[in-house]
Amino acid sequence: MFLDSDLLMSVLRALTPILLAALGGALCERAGVFNIGLEGLMLVGCFTAVSTSWFTGSPWLGVLAAALASAAYSLILAVGAVTLRGDAVVLGVAMNLLAAGLTSFLLRTVFGVQGTFDDPSLAGLPVVGGFTPLTYLSWAAVVVAAVLLSRHVWGLRLRGVGESPDAAATLGVNPARHKYAAVLLSGVLCGLAGAQLALGNVTLFSENMTAGRGWIAVVAVMLGRAVPLGVLLAALLFGVAEAVGFRLQGLGLPQQATDAAPYVVTLGALFITTARRRGRTPRASRGPRTPGTPRSTGSTRSTDPSGVAS
Amino acid sequence: MHRRHRRTLQLTALAAGTVLLATACNAAAKKDGTSASAGGSGKSFTLVTPDSVGENEFLKLAVTGIKDAAKQHDGASKVYESTDTASQQQNVQAAVDAKPDVIVLVGFEFADIVAQQAEKNPKQQFLMVDACTTKTYKNVSCAVFREHEGVYLAGAEAGLLSKSGKVGAVDVLDTPQFRRYSDPFAAGAKKVAAKTGTSTRFVGGQSPFDDSARAKEQANTLLSKGYDQIMAAAAAGNYGVFEAAKAKGAFAYGVDVNQCPSAPGTVVDNVIKRTDVAVDKGIEAVLGGKTGTTVSYGLKEGGISLTGLEAGVDSSKCVIAQHKDVLTKVKALRDQIVSGELTVDDPAAK
Repeated sequence: MFLDSDLLMSVLRALTPILLAALGGALCERAGVFNIGLEGLMLVGCFTAVSTSWFTGSPWLGVLAAALASAAYSLILAVGAVTLRGDAVVLGVAMNLLAAGLTSFLLRTVFGVQGTFDDPSLAGLPVVGGFTPLTYLSWAAVVVAAVLLSRHVWGLRLRGVGESPDAAATLGVNPARHKYAAVLLSGVLCGLAGAQLALGNVTLFSENMTAGRGWIAVVAVMLGRAVPLGVLLAALLFGVAEAVGFRLQGLGLPQQATDAAPYVVTLGALFITTARRRGRTPRASRGPRTPGTPRSTGSTRSTDPSGVAS
Repeated sequence: MHRRHRRTLQLTALAAGTVLLATACNAAAKKDGTSASAGGSGKSFTLVTPDSVGENEFLKLAVTGIKDAAKQHDGASKVYESTDTASQQQNVQAAVDAKPDVIVLVGFEFADIVAQQAEKNPKQQFLMVDACTTKTYKNVSCAVFREHEGVYLAGAEAGLLSKSGKVGAVDVLDTPQFRRYSDPFAAGAKKVAAKTGTSTRFVGGQSPFDDSARAKEQANTLLSKGYDQIMAAAAAGNYGVFEAAKAKGAFAYGVDVNQCPSAPGTVVDNVIKRTDVAVDKGIEAVLGGKTGTTVSYGLKEGGISLTGLEAGVDSSKCVIAQHKDVLTKVKALRDQIVSGELTVDDPAAK
């Protein structure tokens, strides 16, 4: 009664927006920019997708506009963190706050409603084989990102920039350009994630509708160690935990207990992965940062959980 | 290092400034939607709303209520529309400064502000609708609703209309207050069809009131188990529940206002709060000297109703308009509750 096809569909529906956003976060992480603005980027994508689909009647234009709008919005992080060398965490938090306020404000001014915009004639994405085309795109994106980061020269340069910008620069690679590209790509992916949520999972916009999915994506990046396949597995873990949590309510477990499912899973996964890593020699201080791994040297900026140093 | 820090600071300031600017724009957007109806020598009433009235039927009814009260007392009424927390505070202050006979406030958002103002202005009478201050004040009267009575009737409709014999509810959180929207639904369905299977799912999660995608998935878990009538009490998540029900050809029930137009053919009926009745009768009580009390409004007082039991059901786009036979039975149940013959258990009172 538990493992039916409905459960699988439910898991995959929950997975898509998180996966797309997390892939964007992973690209940034590999380029050395800690992007915690995924939530805000997604929310901008949700609003743009719904408003564009509403005014043009085409969900596809909505998807395109969402990708472009979120990419434009990600410029805040790109300019702030790369060009001006600001703190990415502060910028990310500001982006999330601004996105929540901005979309609520625009909802009021553009649609004249508060809370939720919903209309039976709002066009959502078509469903092919049970899922929206963006769902299939998200799976393809995992493969593309994996090949890009491990095989393609551009991806290798990106990783080089992330691990040691100075060394990369001496080899003639422009760190700023690569970081900009990574941040803008994360914007595009988050825009697609938002479009999927607002025109795929549901067909409406409501204030703060991302409801923490961007933060789950941030955790998925950390848990998956910013490797595309790892990120996929981490995001899948959250999708399964949530969907199973829903089912547990049906078996009579109280909501407060089933709500804890994703967090229990996170703690369990963190425990297992750190236990496995313990004993290994820590990587060089400038290596890709893996949360949970103590760094051998380096600064102790305790306010910065990611350990993103300049 | 120093330079970097300065840059960081500048950036922080910039970011903070931008956020402030955005919120400031919000506050300045619409301060008072003052609509005064000039009155004679009579009383004056001021209504402060938590949001702009716009198409919000819940607030539109409150405006109707205060206008009716003004007409009856040959007085004047004013409406201050808020748009956010800042303007709520400004509006309450403006209302207090004008010293009307009664200030009416709709929504829990005002609980703290009213408590402060009531203490500072002991001679000013306040009427809170759909909420109350935590402490009781001599000059604060409250009007609350017995939502469970309406939900029970919606449950009865569901019990009569269900083909699978299973009715469910998607609720916001598993707390006694919110169970008012799910437990009576099950009880109502069982009253008319004893064998009805019932189940409730709670949205929960990080932001249970906003997460329509999550509410939709919760509704899907019920639908996939054959539940064909779903009570939607998930705030913004209701639209997600309607989408899920529509996709499976099932039916749903809305709350607070007529939600049928957002999914015609899917939403059967709505449990509505007649804020106009609460405002009108509340003002009456305050003027009559009954202050500092909490009065609850249910089916008997006409404070709670179903769209299907109101005038204009035929143009409501609700499914129930096509089921007059069901409405007849539900009306009989309502009369039993009104007469006290039948009592609906209140989950929040346990």
